[in-house]
Amino acid sequence: MKILESQNALLSNYEVYQHLVDQETRNKANKRRVPANLAKLVTEVITYLRERPGPLEKQEETHAYTPESIPRLLEKIREANFQSELAKGELISILNLRPATSAQLSTAVEDLEERFTEDEQNRIVDIIAEVLGRDEPAPAEGEGEEGAEDAVPSIENGS
Amino acid sequence: MFILTKIADLVQIAPEDFGKPSLSAIEDNVNAKYANKVIQKLGLFICLWDILWTSEGLIGHGTGLVNVNVEFRMVVFRPFKGEVLVARIASQTREGIHLATDFFHDIFVPFIELPEGTEFEPSEGLWVWKDEDQVMYYDNNEMVRFSVIGEEWHDQTPTGPVDMTDEPAGQRKSPYQITGSMKGPGLGCYLWWEE
Repeated sequence: MKILESQNALLSNYEVYQHLVDQETRNKANKRRVPANLAKLVTEVITYLRERPGPLEKQEETHAYTPESIPRLLEKIREANFQSELAKGELISILNLRPATSAQLSTAVEDLEERFTEDEQNRIVDIIAEVLGRDEPAPAEGEGEEGAEDAVPSIENGS
Repeated sequence: MFILTKIADLVQIAPEDFGKPSLSAIEDNVNAKYANKVIQKLGLFICLWDILWTSEGLIGHGTGLVNVNVEFRMVVFRPFKGEVLVARIASQTREGIHLATDFFHDIFVPFIELPEGTEFEPSEGLWVWKDEDQVMYYDNNEMVRFSVIGEEWHDQTPTGPVDMTDEPAGQRKSPYQITGSMKGPGLGCYLWWEE
């Protein structure tokens, strides 16, 4: 065994999910048995990716993620011309977590508040919801902003 | 969370697999060898992504194995530092909280990486976040978000026969352990952050 390149590319959860699901469908159609270690792991990874609050939970019904959504998301963000650019890792995190509020966005983007104005943060969240969809109806404007401002976040909705 | 790693390896196809198409035989061989294994400093291998190149198959003297040199890419679980992942609370001790995903179980959040005002409740065996007049529990089996702050690798190479007279050495350390943090906005039980 020789490692040629330890990190050839970064994958988003959606790409891995699709690869595993396709592979399973293909094997089932051809009645092909895969090695036991692989079969077990693939089931576990798919279960994990479909778990709440992951954005792929209802992928089989909604098909919110498509091969085109990744370039579309990147294009929209580029078009919006924010004062700071999002790094590759941050975009991957956005795809994997699909943040629906500024507070959630701050987990995907480093130093969110210093790099983006509140207005821009809301626009990023809107773009994400537009391209990748969301679970619940749009939250009230005020709540999202509040979460982003507080260093120690407010937890009124905690229970 | 997942990366692709490019590897070159010698694949040996046994005669019983000659009935399969060559690519399937190689795929099964690679998956059987790598899937669900941790390779030091690389991560947990999930499955084959694609095959980039293969040589002609060659049969050596003395065996019926077909030897093929293959270059391929594997999907590897290797979250980067600072990445935020979702996991389930598996168990809690005084030292901190153990998290697990369905396929990876070695994630630990030490107590210093919990938000300020978090205390251990010995009677319940749970950590509790007390913020002003709010009391919130880290319940077992709750889904949480955490950020990756470090990783530890423990080589599993055997060191030689164990001296039977000694007490059995402590539990084997897992080959790949992730250290996480739940300090910061958006981290902790995901239900706290739902609108």
